[in-house]
Amino acid sequence: MEKISDALLYERVRGKDKDALEELYDRYEKMLFSYLCKMTGDRDLAEEALQEVFVKVWRGVGSYDESKGKFVAWLVTMSRNAAVDLIRKQKKPSVPLDEIAEVESTDSSVEETAEWQEKSEQIHQAVRHLSEEQQKMVHLFYFKGYTHETIAEKCGIPLGTVKSRIRLALKKLKTSLQMVQEGGVLDDKREL
Amino acid sequence: MTNVNCDQLIDYLNGTLNEQEQKQFEAHLAECPECREIVDATGELPYLADPVEPNTGMKSRILDAVFDEEEHPASLAEERTKRDSPAPPATMAKRGFRTSKWTPLVAAALLVSLLGNAYAFYELSDQPDAPAAPEVAFETVDLQASEAFEGTGTAALVHEEGALNLLVQANQLEPTSGDQVYQVWLLKDGQPIPTGAFTPSQENEGAVFFSLDENTEGWDTIAVTLEPNRGNTMPQGEIVLSAAIDPEA
Ligand SMILES: [Zn+2]
Repeated sequence: MEKISDALLYERVRGKDKDALEELYDRYEKMLFSYLCKMTGDRDLAEEALQEVFVKVWRGVGSYDESKGKFVAWLVTMSRNAAVDLIRKQKKPSVPLDEIAEVESTDSSVEETAEWQEKSEQIHQAVRHLSEEQQKMVHLFYFKGYTHETIAEKCGIPLGTVKSRIRLALKKLKTSLQMVQEGGVLDDKREL
Repeated sequence: MTNVNCDQLIDYLNGTLNEQEQKQFEAHLAECPECREIVDATGELPYLADPVEPNTGMKSRILDAVFDEEEHPASLAEERTKRDSPAPPATMAKRGFRTSKWTPLVAAALLVSLLGNAYAFYELSDQPDAPAAPEVAFETVDLQASEAFEGTGTAALVHEEGALNLLVQANQLEPTSGDQVYQVWLLKDGQPIPTGAFTPSQENEGAVFFSLDENTEGWDTIAVTLEPNRGNTMPQGEIVLSAAIDPEA
């Protein structure tokens, strides 16, 4: 049976279909939770952020449609912003919790792990094609929970410059990711 | 970036557009494949994180809250207020263990051996009919970074048999130069005593263990400063990390 698209599930969520919300939750729980753990360095805070995201999805806050890009990207943006808010409210410094994955037992299916590995390899490969400065921008914006204002402040760079650097970094990420996904062997020297 | 709307992409991703700007940019997204593809690429960024297994019972907690929200719109706010209130020391200790923030292996091993008794206490205290626990109080706190400092840290304080053991661990530290050291201080009513110093490793991590045999009570603050040299009895450098601690713990 063909897997129902995220967009279609979201339509059903808008019609208050609880099963559809649960299906979306199941699809993205691990991905978003892993991301939020890395960003907040705190499992409880990550859970709180994830809850806020799905509360918003259920209540139709900032509704999604396909003209806004992929559903998962929309979820990631909401997750990032929920975590940024929570970190700010708690004034909690973010701590990397890289060891969590090792400490916790894994009961994930082989299939999921294989998919994760593939996705992870792709994005890691794509990121390697960014300059150090660009990688830093992506890291600060997406994994440190910094707003662009904070980055400007901490790095002593004008806000406008920070914005265009993040944009350029993401644009390059997009291009290299597309090439990696298309299976093309990416030549390291090639200018993207 | 000729189109002025493309410039708003980062504000859009940052959630800082006002309602009208948001609508306008969303209309732009529908028209601009480049912005949309950039947005799509950000959807893959979570795979840069290591996979983490969800918290036990998380799914039902979240779905309950989500569907409950419908009937009681205030519940989320209430929940937040509850969680924002300070946790009792026992809970803090548990959190410290569960999330295991101790990156350097040495520090982790040290903590485990040091806390042999404390850990047993923690295990026992989960059982209502546990026999009397040994006299061990354990507190962990996250250290708050000062403005413009990018490092993070955690401190554990263990009162055991009349001694106060202190373990501080920090990472993402700025490298030191010359004789500079990161110096840990305990403070009581604004009066500091030095409690160990360290320099960051190549991975920009550092840890220090310190044990006090007397004057173990009543400390209210822990701080880390960046000192120009080792051995200062009063801080000369700026505070980079600090946290309030419970004097009763
Ligand atoms: Zn555009």
